[in-house]
Amino acid sequence: MNGPKIYWTLPLGITITQTTVASFVVMVLLCTAAVVLGRNLEKRPGRRQVLVEKGVTMLYDMVGDTMGKHNLYWAPYMGALFLSSVCGSFIGMTGIFRSATADLSTTATWAIMTSLLCWGCSIKRNGIGGWLKGFTEPVVVMTPMNLVSEIAQPLSMAFRHFGNIAGGSVLTSLVYTALATCSALLLGLVGKSVVIGAAVLVIGIALLVAGVKNKKLAKKIFGIVFIATGALSLLGLTGVPYLEVGIPGILSLYFDVFSGGVQALVFSLLTMVYVGNACPPPEEV
Amino acid sequence: MTGFESFVGINPWTALFTFCNMLITFSVLKHFLFEPVKKMIDDRQNEIDTMYADADAAKQKAAALETEYQAHLQSIKDERDAMLREATRRAQKREEEIVGEAKTEAANIRAAAEADIAQERKKAVNDLKNEIGGMAVEIAGKVVEREIKQQDHQALIDEFIQNVGDAS
Repeated sequence: MNGPKIYWTLPLGITITQTTVASFVVMVLLCTAAVVLGRNLEKRPGRRQVLVEKGVTMLYDMVGDTMGKHNLYWAPYMGALFLSSVCGSFIGMTGIFRSATADLSTTATWAIMTSLLCWGCSIKRNGIGGWLKGFTEPVVVMTPMNLVSEIAQPLSMAFRHFGNIAGGSVLTSLVYTALATCSALLLGLVGKSVVIGAAVLVIGIALLVAGVKNKKLAKKIFGIVFIATGALSLLGLTGVPYLEVGIPGILSLYFDVFSGGVQALVFSLLTMVYVGNACPPPEEV
Repeated sequence: MTGFESFVGINPWTALFTFCNMLITFSVLKHFLFEPVKKMIDDRQNEIDTMYADADAAKQKAAALETEYQAHLQSIKDERDAMLREATRRAQKREEEIVGEAKTEAANIRAAAEADIAQERKKAVNDLKNEIGGMAVEIAGKVVEREIKQQDHQALIDEFIQNVGDAS
């Protein structure tokens, strides 16, 4: 399994990889969308503006609930992070780009940014001395533990996000390979004699007709599969991985859409929680 | 040079680019999308709040005005009633005065009339006395056939008439 493909290597060893391109495209898309959606705002909103406002309100509500009302100014960063993550995952579905979040460089950068923001907040509030002293609390013995947890936090965030998206793509490609092998095997078996091919074709047609008559989805699907198998074997096209149609779509629905959305949500929620912890309400200071 | 990076690994340049992209995305989204939209939502919310507050204030003002007018109206009614009562009282008093005056006057007139009547009666009695006296002298003269000097017998005649008057 390969990482992102390197397109060019510029002087100084600057590498332009699939991830670079994908993340650039995501940035351009998001910025364009932002400029288009943020234009011509009116007091009496149209349909587009109502949707945009709904989304922005949801974001601010979520940030307010998670981080507290005093941290509402963090909402734009959380929104940008969430949208970048979602689009970075979904862009892999286009087939042109590789998911930007399937590269540890991306997720690690975001995770480190989260940690930097937390540290920045703590330093701003307590000063560098206070921030360093925070590691020795509640007792001095806990210092190594605190340091480890401080390092483990971005590591776990980065690997969780990267692992889910990259793992999804690995699994999807494995399934593709398996299905291609299966279809080749099946076509090889059926294609050994014309009689078997014709028989499979006839069974398929019978199943399809029965399925259409009785309105049974399973019969229709199996009928189509049998017909395809019979027809392809009769035509001698044994190299066509026809079983790859359909099944990967359902898998992709889980691994790309669901997993991408959930991971983006988890990542931005964790960022909210960590930064929110570093910026408690002013009364508690 | 083309090739593939390792599956699990961090490319510092990619990380740097991602960092820059994230910053740009954040700034653009914040400046062009989140802040204007949030501002618009807040503005609208404020406007709605102001409108509701204004409406409430107007309602309260109207209620206060209504109470004031009710009180005003009530006071006017009270004043009117008081004036009516006063007027009635004064009218009754005046009526009593007028009736009283009339009664007094009537009594006066009656007294005067009675006095007049008494005087007239006395006068009439006197006249009658005189007449009867004359007639008596005349009759007596005729009876005795001689002239009786009126002056001589006047006292006698008067006494007689007095007796007659008392008897009548």
